[in-house]
Amino acid sequence: MRLTVNGQSTEVDAPANRLLVDLLRDDLGLTGTKEACSVGVCGACTVLLDGAPVASCLMLAAQVEGREVTTIEGLASTERLHPLQEAFIEHGGFQCGICTPGQVVAAKALLDSNPAPTAEDVREWMTGNLCRCTGYYQIIEAIMAAAGSPDA
Amino acid sequence: MADPFVLGRPTPRVEGVEKVTGAARYAGDVKLPGMLHGALLHSSRPYARLVSVDTSAARDLPGVRAVITGEDVGQHLYGRRIKDMPVLARGFVRYAGERIAAVAADSEDIARRAVDLIEVEYEDLEPVFDIEEALTDGAPLLHPNHGDYPGARAQETPSNAYMWSVNDRGDLDAGFAEADLVIEHTYRTERVHQAYLEPHIALVSLEGGRVHVWTTTKAPQSIRDALAFTVDVPREDIVLHHSHIGGDFGGKGTPLNLPIAYFLAQAAGAPVRLAADYIQELMAGNPRHATLTTLRTGVKRDGTITAHHARFRVNCGAYAAYKPNGVIGGAQRAAGPYRIPNTRIESIQVYTNTVPGGHMRAPGSPQAVFALESHLDEVARELGLDPLEFRERNLVREGDETAWGDRLEHLKAHETLDAAIDTSRYRASASEGRGRKVGRGIAVGDHGSGGGIGNAEVRLHPGGAVTLGTPIFDQGSGTYTTLQQVVAEELHVPTSRITLEIWDTDETDDDSGIGGSRATRVNTRTAHEAALEARAALVRLVAERLDVAEDTIALEGDEVRIEGDGGRVERWPELLSRWEETAVGRARVEDREAIRLTGFVAQVAEVAVDEETGEIEVLGITTAHDVGRVLNPIGHQGQINGGVVQGLGYALMEHLGVEDGRVTTLSFGDYKIPSTADLPPLRTALVEGEEGIGPYRIKGIGETPNVPVAAAIANAVEDAVGVRIRDLPITAEKVYRALQAQREREGQA
Repeated sequence: MRLTVNGQSTEVDAPANRLLVDLLRDDLGLTGTKEACSVGVCGACTVLLDGAPVASCLMLAAQVEGREVTTIEGLASTERLHPLQEAFIEHGGFQCGICTPGQVVAAKALLDSNPAPTAEDVREWMTGNLCRCTGYYQIIEAIMAAAGSPDA
Repeated sequence: MADPFVLGRPTPRVEGVEKVTGAARYAGDVKLPGMLHGALLHSSRPYARLVSVDTSAARDLPGVRAVITGEDVGQHLYGRRIKDMPVLARGFVRYAGERIAAVAADSEDIARRAVDLIEVEYEDLEPVFDIEEALTDGAPLLHPNHGDYPGARAQETPSNAYMWSVNDRGDLDAGFAEADLVIEHTYRTERVHQAYLEPHIALVSLEGGRVHVWTTTKAPQSIRDALAFTVDVPREDIVLHHSHIGGDFGGKGTPLNLPIAYFLAQAAGAPVRLAADYIQELMAGNPRHATLTTLRTGVKRDGTITAHHARFRVNCGAYAAYKPNGVIGGAQRAAGPYRIPNTRIESIQVYTNTVPGGHMRAPGSPQAVFALESHLDEVARELGLDPLEFRERNLVREGDETAWGDRLEHLKAHETLDAAIDTSRYRASASEGRGRKVGRGIAVGDHGSGGGIGNAEVRLHPGGAVTLGTPIFDQGSGTYTTLQQVVAEELHVPTSRITLEIWDTDETDDDSGIGGSRATRVNTRTAHEAALEARAALVRLVAERLDVAEDTIALEGDEVRIEGDGGRVERWPELLSRWEETAVGRARVEDREAIRLTGFVAQVAEVAVDEETGEIEVLGITTAHDVGRVLNPIGHQGQINGGVVQGLGYALMEHLGVEDGRVTTLSFGDYKIPSTADLPPLRTALVEGEEGIGPYRIKGIGETPNVPVAAAIANAVEDAVGVRIRDLPITAEKVYRALQAQREREGQA
């Protein structure tokens, strides 16, 4: 099957019932996407499918054929980090980092559709991304800071 | 530290870029050639004799490489201190979820299908789930030969209470006789899961005569030793390799499936990756313990406490194995930082047919402090005293002993409480409206920093690069960045020039790792010494090569100034390049003594309670901390925020539900932890000071923020609507029922 991953057209040999998270991690070696709850509740496995956030632990390979998937590995260019990534570092938007790829990807989807969210918008949008380390306050700060950046 | 170079400044994480780009490698990201995948069969019965375990169909499934049971493994016991848990069940299962058999196969799917083919015949036994039932005469004895386990203490009479300690001070009976009022209540807390988002993983490869391990642990040396004991391999033949840890909160000090992965790898003759999923985590992890705490307190009318008796009963589950010290401490926190002359504090550790507990953030304290700080509010109300005034009267001051008998120094209990009150809306006038009533509650606590052994190495390289070698497996709290700051501070080089080299367990022989708020205490001291050693090595080298006396050499950042010699100034990065030399400083610090410093926390919760539905909205939490000096404000605040929100989950929503011994909340859909939808406004007040531990005057911050939250909220709920919830979590349903009961009582009156 063929799909586009982080802007690159990719051919992969996988059964139709392979979970997207496994396709990314095991078949394509993109281990930045994490799996935690496996039931689509925690948001750790969030990737963008044609720009919209989805839980990759609930999607099948067959559902993404011919479509465009963006993972955490697709956010930074070779020279620089995405403003959200910069802001997460600067504001302490992560600790252990296991939920961070999902948080950053979900936040990107928010800023893509709403470049100037209120803190309330951010809280509402991010309810599907659990984090046990930060208590979320610094994640929200980071997203608000990135939203103020001209490159976000 | 007149003008700190980098300590005290907001310093982003050294591993930041790795973590925000997805490049950081966790144990689950490690793949080995020929690696097999494991799966486990767990007991469906809470207590049963294992009649037979038939694995023949599983073995016949194509793609299956090994199937093992307790009989294959033999008598290998596991435990951090008390070695009472078989690697795989033998003879009996003692909780629903106990590991019975394991499969290694070419894929996880095949391994799971094979597990489904294993047939177990059980002969059910009468289980015991409840602490009080387990303590009655005639209760089923889970471990009649407890005293025979390595690491266990002999029991005079076999009992499910495998440890029962009593700490007496003063004269308890006289203290109660002196009291005008004696008040007794019992408080209950439930199991909760640490809810780190990365499930446990163990990957074991037996290659070249050695045991190679990648696993989710923050205490690699201690896990190596425990594994060596269990699988009967010399410790030097085992090496734990570093990978990042996806959250811990106490739960990653236990390797859960590591010994099983070892035996699978041995049986299959190939590396085996045994990854837990979240169902297994919730069913058979190592959760925070459920407790039952009975507190009996004698007071004078003026609010002086004369006597206090605490009975702290811990539901340990079926095994003690996951507790690093064999028991859950915290009993002394059920008496607290109060001046009480006559005390009896009992700590009772009880086996039941439930999932064995482990450590979670300030082990024992959230349970004990929920009980004590709720109870003290109730006592104050009985006396007609303001809960704040009552605490102010009894909280320790300089020179006082705590209720446990500790004589601590530089006590900041009162300053911390004042800071919480001043920063919060505690004294704001009560408001109500639309069927909702507002209330405010306070709770306090304290926690010291544990000791241990630390190791570090600092190397100054040609050209000016600096490497910091460390055996620490940072679980996410930011130790690497703190150590990098320390080295930057002592060498006066920017943090960007210091790279981290994380050691595997071969590099040191003993290191305590992370836990018990020890990392900042022990390891800042260790990194400090290693940096000073590196400076000394540089000075010795310069003296030798330039043929000058060591005491004529002064280092200032990169500059090497030599007195005399016309005030010669060199730069060490260039000198080391010219000489092709490296200056190395290595430190091993043993810092185990109990210290006479503690860190106080005081919190104020403000809630609005709906009188019709019992629904609680937390309008705000104020948290005040006695912190010494803060090394990294970003990380420090992160610990506070994360801790408070965990405390909020503990207070209001988290409960590992168990029915008939079986965990019923088996996904994050059922086991609710706080999300961004649950955040109250949070105010932080820091009481800084010069009295702290070690060269940088620090205090640990990882544990206290999560401790008093539940009591502060319980107290606020009573302040709002007059009902007292004595068991966690404080759900709308419990408040609703309590309000109904209150109305019925008032209707009858």
